[in-house]
Amino acid sequence: MKSAVYNMGYFLKEAKTLFKIDFMSNVLSILSIGLIFFILALVISGWDIMSFIIETIEKEAEINIYYREALNNEEISKLIDDIKSVEGIGDVKLVDEEESYLRMKDILGDEAHILELFEDNPFSPFIEVQINIAESDIILEKLNEIENVEYIRDNKRVLDRLYDIVSVLEFIGILAVVAVGISTLMVVSHIIRQGIYNNRDQINTLKLLGAPQPFIDFPFVLEGLFLTLIGGFIASILLFVLLNYGYGQVEMAIPFIPLPSVKNLIKAMISFTLVTSAILGVIGSLLGVAKQGEGYIR
Amino acid sequence: MIEAKSVSLVYENGTVALRDVSLHIKPGEIVYITGPSGSGKTSFLKLLMGIEYPTTGRLKVMGQTMSRMNASNIRRLRQKMGPVFQEFKLIRGRTALENVMLGMRFLGFPPKKMQEYAMEALTNVGLEHKSSSLVERLSWGESQRVAIARAIARRPSLILADEPTGNLDVDNAMNIMDLLTSFRDENTSVIITTHATHLIEDKEEGTFIRIKNGNLQIERRGEALV
Ligand SMILES: Nc1ncnc2c1ncn2[C@@H]1O[C@H](COP(=O)(O)OP(=O)(O)OP(=O)(O)O)[C@@H](O)[C@H]1O
Ligand SMILES: [Mg+2]
Repeated sequence: MKSAVYNMGYFLKEAKTLFKIDFMSNVLSILSIGLIFFILALVISGWDIMSFIIETIEKEAEINIYYREALNNEEISKLIDDIKSVEGIGDVKLVDEEESYLRMKDILGDEAHILELFEDNPFSPFIEVQINIAESDIILEKLNEIENVEYIRDNKRVLDRLYDIVSVLEFIGILAVVAVGISTLMVVSHIIRQGIYNNRDQINTLKLLGAPQPFIDFPFVLEGLFLTLIGGFIASILLFVLLNYGYGQVEMAIPFIPLPSVKNLIKAMISFTLVTSAILGVIGSLLGVAKQGEGYIR
Repeated sequence: MIEAKSVSLVYENGTVALRDVSLHIKPGEIVYITGPSGSGKTSFLKLLMGIEYPTTGRLKVMGQTMSRMNASNIRRLRQKMGPVFQEFKLIRGRTALENVMLGMRFLGFPPKKMQEYAMEALTNVGLEHKSSSLVERLSWGESQRVAIARAIARRPSLILADEPTGNLDVDNAMNIMDLLTSFRDENTSVIITTHATHLIEDKEEGTFIRIKNGNLQIERRGEALV
């Protein structure tokens, strides 16, 4: 172990030599590893963003109940009491025309000027109701039976669609992790084996001098680690650029969609990419050194 | 140090390299092996290093039985040997000094000592001025001396030198012989193969093995007699 520390300079130099001997293959491996990690990171980012959106929507499990506009205040109070009596109902709040207009103005932000195109307030008053999302089916059924309820707007259908998308993304994500894992392991172990073949004379000499196998293998493991780490680094840069740009685009196009903080997402994705690439690099090169040509080398 | 009982070595293609070799070499002995080309000198050293295993018979080196089953122990055993290969086996793209140190890196020498012993060995073979030259730029004779420096710098208990003087002029050859044998002490044995019988004819001490067609003829002189 002690010798591993003071031989570090030697090991690094060896790994560098290995890299140079087969320069083109190494560079190409780095690029392809970088690309596959980039795609993996993209899929997982998409998965993460979708889960975040769903979580946010689930938390805002409120429904809007629209009623016939002709109702007088007394009738509205009775309607609210009726709604409150349904099991699984949380806060109930009346949102009048004015407030409903102001809310939309808030949501639209910079785009609010489009509201000025309307002469009258285009929004209707409604009753905002907090519900337990797990029981939404039964609750909705009961609410629909209440007198004077005209129309209920819930985000259940949106949620269902999002659930579908997430399960597809989850599937693609798992597939991507497996595919990236396997292809990285194949690329790395192949190039390590190539390096061992190119260096067979030197390895053989070291064996004849009694060098322990880990001493011989270590530079190759380092080489594999560098390949994937640099690949992961390239993927991280691409991801950083794309997420930053993509976020800007999405926020401009649909300002009210809830997105996780881009900083945290990028941080998490980059650490994930670097850690995964390092682990795969070490495993790949260990696979590469594990089966060294028998016969020639003793 | 070495115990051989009826050892023979037959290569896969049927070539019989050594026939029924029995001998005993004590720690501290100097052994010279001579014989015509193709007689089996290198083959004998290969057996001692575990590069080949005896086809029949039993061979023990420093207490270790040499057989395929002990491959991992034999790897460790090699750390106690200082081999000089007939074809040198230096590592290209490295300097002379790096080649010498490469034989020592995994032996637990403190870094300073490693550097010191390596330089000292290069000085002993007259190559201190070439320590930072890449080995592929060295002459044949210089390469041979780097190979010798690599073998002795690691302080082995058994020096195995295959034709270490093959490419050297008489003066240099004499010096190298003297240098190699100077490492002999009560614990360190030295085995040297050579074509150059004139270099060893006058030696008054040592074990002299002549190989012919795989058969050994052993003569002991001086202290080696006892
Ligand atoms: N790997 C091998 N496979 C088959 N035959 C071999 C092998 N190595 C050596 N031989 C044969 O074994 C015999 C002894 O070879 P060896 O190399 O031991 O001779 P040597 O005494 O060292 O010769 P030289 O003085 O030329 O180095 C030779 O006939 C050689 O051709
Ligand atoms: Mg030979």
